[in-house]
Amino acid sequence: MNKTLRVARHEFRTTAANKAFVIITILGPFLIFGVAVLPTILARSNATLPSVTLALSGGADVRPALEAVLSARGSRVAILPAEPEAAEAAARAGLLSGEYDGALILAPDWASRKSVRLLTKTGTDVALNGAIEAVLGDAARRSHALASGIDPAVVQRMLEAPAMTVMKLGKEANEKGAVEEYIGVLMTVMAFVMLLYMTVLLYGQLIGRSVLQEKTAKTVEIMLSSVSSRQLMVGKILGPGLAGLIQYGVWLGLALVGVKALGPALHLSLPSVLNSANLIWLVVFFLPAYSLYASIYAALGAGAEDEQHLAQLAWPLLLFLILPMVLVSFLVTNPNATVSVFLSFFPLTSPIVMLIRVLVSPPPAWQLALSLGLMALTVWGAAVLAGKVFRVGILMTGKRRKLGEILRWARQP
Amino acid sequence: MLEARDVRKSYGGVKAVDGLSFVAKPGEIFGLIGPNGAGKSTTIRMAMNIIAPDSGAMTIGGKPFNEDDKARIGYLPEERGLYRKARVEEILLYLAALKGMKEAEARRRIQAWLNRFDLQDWRGRKIEELSKGMAQKVQFIGTVLHEPELYLFDEPFAGLDPISQDLLLSAMVELKEGGATVLFSTHVMEHAERICDRILLVNRGRAVVQGGLAEVKASHGRNAVQVEFDGDASFIEGLPFVTSLTSYPRWFEVELRDGADPDELFRALAGRLKVRRFETVAPSLHKIFIHLVGEDNEGRAE
Repeated sequence: MNKTLRVARHEFRTTAANKAFVIITILGPFLIFGVAVLPTILARSNATLPSVTLALSGGADVRPALEAVLSARGSRVAILPAEPEAAEAAARAGLLSGEYDGALILAPDWASRKSVRLLTKTGTDVALNGAIEAVLGDAARRSHALASGIDPAVVQRMLEAPAMTVMKLGKEANEKGAVEEYIGVLMTVMAFVMLLYMTVLLYGQLIGRSVLQEKTAKTVEIMLSSVSSRQLMVGKILGPGLAGLIQYGVWLGLALVGVKALGPALHLSLPSVLNSANLIWLVVFFLPAYSLYASIYAALGAGAEDEQHLAQLAWPLLLFLILPMVLVSFLVTNPNATVSVFLSFFPLTSPIVMLIRVLVSPPPAWQLALSLGLMALTVWGAAVLAGKVFRVGILMTGKRRKLGEILRWARQP
Repeated sequence: MLEARDVRKSYGGVKAVDGLSFVAKPGEIFGLIGPNGAGKSTTIRMAMNIIAPDSGAMTIGGKPFNEDDKARIGYLPEERGLYRKARVEEILLYLAALKGMKEAEARRRIQAWLNRFDLQDWRGRKIEELSKGMAQKVQFIGTVLHEPELYLFDEPFAGLDPISQDLLLSAMVELKEGGATVLFSTHVMEHAERICDRILLVNRGRAVVQGGLAEVKASHGRNAVQVEFDGDASFIEGLPFVTSLTSYPRWFEVELRDGADPDELFRALAGRLKVRRFETVAPSLHKIFIHLVGEDNEGRAE
């Protein structure tokens, strides 16, 4: 094994043992799912509700209607004794044992009463409660109409009014369900961008601080007595990078399981943008983003004097990371605007912006190729310059230097 | 073998190293001694190729420094700094791996060294839990594990208690006896005096004196004799080759004229005093150091 890889292996172990790494690895998929799936869960239809068993006592007149509603969502009705006290006891026992999810006890004159009682264990299945209430309401109105000598069909018609659906113009040729689609895309983009932003920033700062500590604790002289400054820097970038890739691998695996298995099993209608191809794009854009920011942070860490100084040196860099976050809503709605296209070529913003464009509406192949090509070139150039700055900076102590002064070290032969 | 030929290094107009030349040979301990700020660390860092000399050359085995030489050198920097969060055995294994050692062999040697330095109970502890002295011993182990041909120790004894200092001194003598070239820097003359074969005394970046320890002592010694006696020693002051006398009733120390042989004094005493002890006083390196460096610095101040 060569020395660069030995340094990388050590740095990888250090990174993987870091608490932040473990926490983000675990929380990443929750972030994707939480943000991408939450809106669809909130907006889910009856068809996707879990099956339940409703116990019914009395109310022979509404039984067929209830059975129809419940069977539509894969649920069923169980019959309890008609006698109220026996029904109540059986209902409570059944609810406690988990046999029933709800129990409806109807007296013979239920339709003319002010209220009826639905016993449930949790009471939180709003959709079920609403469905039952609707069935009972229909039946009650019907019985009131008949009692007043009015044709129930007339009553029904009088209560009808068109429902209003709010539509928003979204992607061309996909105006149907535009709201859901737009929210789905926006949320997925937000989740992906958050992950990319968080990991690049976290690893960048991790590397910057690690280099700085190595310099201020004077460990660097011990290291340089065994390896070259180039081997040290590349190793320190590769190690956490490998940890990051493993982290993305874990997320990708879990996300695919979620999309392919968990989603369908739970009847979740996942946003169509959350698919395997897009998950792979996320990894593709992580690589140049990580390499670029890690190299720059390594150079800045070598040039810095202490943590505050490092933060001070790095803030212009942060701006470029934050910019796409601020513009995310604009970028999602205007993926082909001039600004969007420009930002998807500018190497410091292109990984995140190009990822957004790919997710929202695939850009022309040449734009994708140009963007990736520019990223690769910049990564190479940044690594070479960072290596020079690193070599000089890692042994310089005692003075807070300005960013310009540090960057000038790159000009040394 | 490490050779320096007229190396110079300035920092912003200050000459840290101003034309030093020396050779450290296999099988000997070479002491780079001098006061703080004399240029010792700068010299060692140039030998290690951490900084490049402005002019002159450092060679290892006759050739300019090469990246591959790193596996054949053990370097203990002046400022200690192992990764604070790392555990003792883990960091030593890492350092050994960077020098290209096989893990099994590294483990064996780490065990042996930890036992020798009485650190075996600390192998699983983090560096930050160790005392300064212990951390320094761990770092010393990290420097010698791969058994290189050339050792560069920059102030290896700083901050160690006397027992640890002795452990290190005897370890360094062993390394030399194993045929390695050992160079170390210190401003504590007693350490240099105890183990050095040859020394280079540096002050303000320049060589003040260089050579075998015995030669240096001989050439810069005061020509003095201490005598313990019974009898009347008042005649001593009148002897022609005596330049100064410090006298007590049963003990005196005389300084002899340059070129005078202590034997002359012995013959002069014979029969007139009952001599209990007659000892030529070898000057300590410390005195030579104070004498030469003090003179040097005074000379410059004028």
